[in-house]
Amino acid sequence: MRAPFLILTVLLGLTTGSFAVPAAPVNAEATFAKANADYAAGKFSAAIAGYESLVQSRQWNPTLFYDLGNAYFRKGDPGRAILNYERALALDPNHAETRANLQLVRDQARALELAPGWVETRLGVLTRDQYAWLAVAAFWGAAAILCGLYFARRRAVVWIFALVLLGTISGAAAFAVYQLETGSAGAGLAIVTKKNIQARLATAESAGTVLLLPAGSEIKILSTRGEWSYAALPNDLRGWIPAQSAERVRL
Amino acid sequence: MLFRNVTSPFSPRPRSVAVGIGVLFFLAAVFLPALSAQADEPTVTAVLTSSETEVDRPVQLQIKITGDANAIPPNEITVDGLDIRYTGQSQLVEGRNFRFTYSFVYNYTILPLKAGTFTIPSQAIGSNNGTLRTPALTLNVAPNDDGTTTSRRGGGNSATDEKKIVFAELVVPKTSVYVGETIPAQIRIGINSRVPHRFIDLPNLSGQGFTSQRMPNPDQRLESIGGRTYEVVTLQTAITPVRSGKLEISAKDAKAIIQVPRRGGSRPRSPFDLFGMNDPFNDPFFNDAFAGVGEQKEVKFSSETTTIEVKPLPPNAPATFAGAVGNFSLATDVKPKTAQVGDPLTVTATISGRGNFDRVTAPTLEETRGWHTYPPGSNFKADDEIGVSGTKTFEMVVTPNEPKKAVPPLVFTFFNPLKEQYVTLKGDKVPVVVEGGTAPAATPAVASAGTPPPQPSARPTAAPQGSDILYQLTDHGGWGATFAPVFQQPVFWAAQAVPLLGLVGFFGWEMRRRRLANRAGQRIAAWENESAELERKLRRAGDPPDQYYAEALRVVQLKTALARQIEPNTVDAEIAVAAFDLPDEQRDRVRELFRRSDEVRYSGRPNGNSTVPEETRREVLDLINRLN
Repeated sequence: MRAPFLILTVLLGLTTGSFAVPAAPVNAEATFAKANADYAAGKFSAAIAGYESLVQSRQWNPTLFYDLGNAYFRKGDPGRAILNYERALALDPNHAETRANLQLVRDQARALELAPGWVETRLGVLTRDQYAWLAVAAFWGAAAILCGLYFARRRAVVWIFALVLLGTISGAAAFAVYQLETGSAGAGLAIVTKKNIQARLATAESAGTVLLLPAGSEIKILSTRGEWSYAALPNDLRGWIPAQSAERVRL
Repeated sequence: MLFRNVTSPFSPRPRSVAVGIGVLFFLAAVFLPALSAQADEPTVTAVLTSSETEVDRPVQLQIKITGDANAIPPNEITVDGLDIRYTGQSQLVEGRNFRFTYSFVYNYTILPLKAGTFTIPSQAIGSNNGTLRTPALTLNVAPNDDGTTTSRRGGGNSATDEKKIVFAELVVPKTSVYVGETIPAQIRIGINSRVPHRFIDLPNLSGQGFTSQRMPNPDQRLESIGGRTYEVVTLQTAITPVRSGKLEISAKDAKAIIQVPRRGGSRPRSPFDLFGMNDPFNDPFFNDAFAGVGEQKEVKFSSETTTIEVKPLPPNAPATFAGAVGNFSLATDVKPKTAQVGDPLTVTATISGRGNFDRVTAPTLEETRGWHTYPPGSNFKADDEIGVSGTKTFEMVVTPNEPKKAVPPLVFTFFNPLKEQYVTLKGDKVPVVVEGGTAPAATPAVASAGTPPPQPSARPTAAPQGSDILYQLTDHGGWGATFAPVFQQPVFWAAQAVPLLGLVGFFGWEMRRRRLANRAGQRIAAWENESAELERKLRRAGDPPDQYYAEALRVVQLKTALARQIEPNTVDAEIAVAAFDLPDEQRDRVRELFRRSDEVRYSGRPNGNSTVPEETRREVLDLINRLN
């Protein structure tokens, strides 16, 4: 009976070091407070520099990106404002202030949005991470029932039904995770940060145009070739845009 | 006039299916007229898909004849100012309580050429019972959005060349629009129906500076154009310019395969066309078509480029304007009508009309003092396939901070391209009863950069009103958030170790328990087998006494071992006696058996072939049988 405890100890020992949250540097709070003060004083460039230094040092939280988005908006850069609002929502989908400001800035910038697919729309009841936990919970429940049925002398129908149900839930939740991860708000989501970017049919400035993308428009990067990115665009279009003209939401 | 059923070129049916359908039609053709003998008198109706339209915007006329398969619809309907063309027919069979009625629906497309009110006169329909007459219909035609009162298509500007085999055209209702104004567009491609053909690719809209809606399933029908019949595929979409200037747009890259005569195979002049008359059988397309030896050729065709003048929106838009262009109406409702201060009220705003609904945002409260508002949710229900007209419903939650008697009216602003001005709709003030004390006031939004940030303790989640963003937040709630999905984080997989180990542990424990149980079972089974075998031997006479008593003793030991789950070799007379509930006499016999066995075993075998007496054997067997 020592073996399981030994394995558990080794696993925890291996993982503890890697997922431990790094302690915030002492000056993170001070930097954040100073950036807020700069913002309040109308020094938006200084505020942006302060917030960005925290972003670069990977000291992230939804409020930081929300405040940074506000600062970019005040600076007249709606593209980056929307980008940072999207980042705040990626960290906290229920951040109400961010949603409100994002809506306002997006309307002002006339930014285009990716339309979620039929499946993605109907998966909105849970977040991607909640679906992931649901998938593993149902999986382990099904595995436990399977194990019990394997050793049981009599296999009751209710347990077989529970096994099928949990297996189906696990599979469906895993499918939901895949859909959300590859959908319009998934890993490939990026925001156009430059103004009026032309999406083109090929990787050349002289290539035919597909769509004019105002700053702040959503795209989904599908692949990157050199200085160009191939992306899914609003209105179910696809085209090439300069890679530097958009930034992925997820860092 | 062509009465051919149209089948989709993109989904050719197998031959067997086609034969089946043919049989069904044949049966219908045979039996339905028989049933019609019991049917009601034939009737005719005529309807317009819309009695209001504008110049260049076509409407459909449908004449439905019920109960007469031989009715003859009008070949030609002539109304000055309207271009009315027959476009095909469809059949309709309806059954009710085993009474079947069949109808023929004849479709006509009406293209208004000028503005005004037109009357489509009653049409005479020849039938078996005489002449039926359709009702007269009235069609009101308004000038189009350009203010044009006559059709620009009257001059033959269409891309349709009647002598062409194929054609493509892009039809837009107006050529001068505003940025953001959504206009319906129609792409039509057609191929002469006498030419064997197959569509490969539908055309795409080409151009820049606009967005377009996804095209729903194409509509396909036969149309008679200039005396020739074309199989016409029509796609509906909507175009929204995103910048001002000239917008050049065309439908490009439609592809089809057609069968054309082989070169050099010209046929001699038809004997029926000696005088150069228009003999249809002398059509070049029929040179080889009947012989079925035509040559397949892929054709690619596009429409002419349509230029649309896109005008910028006028300056000085109201603060509540968020990009909606079109013509909309606003209705509001609030539920519940009675609440306490701080309770949520759901304000429903319904915006209906025609325009760019993707830019229609939630209306705002005219007066927000004393109210908290939250970001709204929306739902759009389109009335057409391309989403130009419909209803968008917003539901927003507001909470009163103080007693109120009404929810302030909602305000929604859009640009009306017909009136060429911004229109601000103001909903009704909805009376409610809000009772209770005054709630703490929410922290106001930062109106300018110079105001100090609010205290983190007050974090209202109010939606922004007007055109300014909400305040900065200073309460960040901790550092170290990550964008990585949970399944890419080590903690997620480490957590899986817990159920995994639990399951592995359970599996291992259960397997070990089973293995041990199995070993004990095997041992018990061996004892039982040995005991049964020895009992059989004891029933047979012939064994010498030493062997007989040894075997009898072994049986007693085995039975005791089975009863007590102990090793048989450790069983002596007292253990055996104690293991079973025996009368004293039997107990003594057990002890006697052990004694006799020891005695025989240690005193040596007597000479000769002596055996155990029959009576003794019976007593021993009786004793053994009692040990259960």
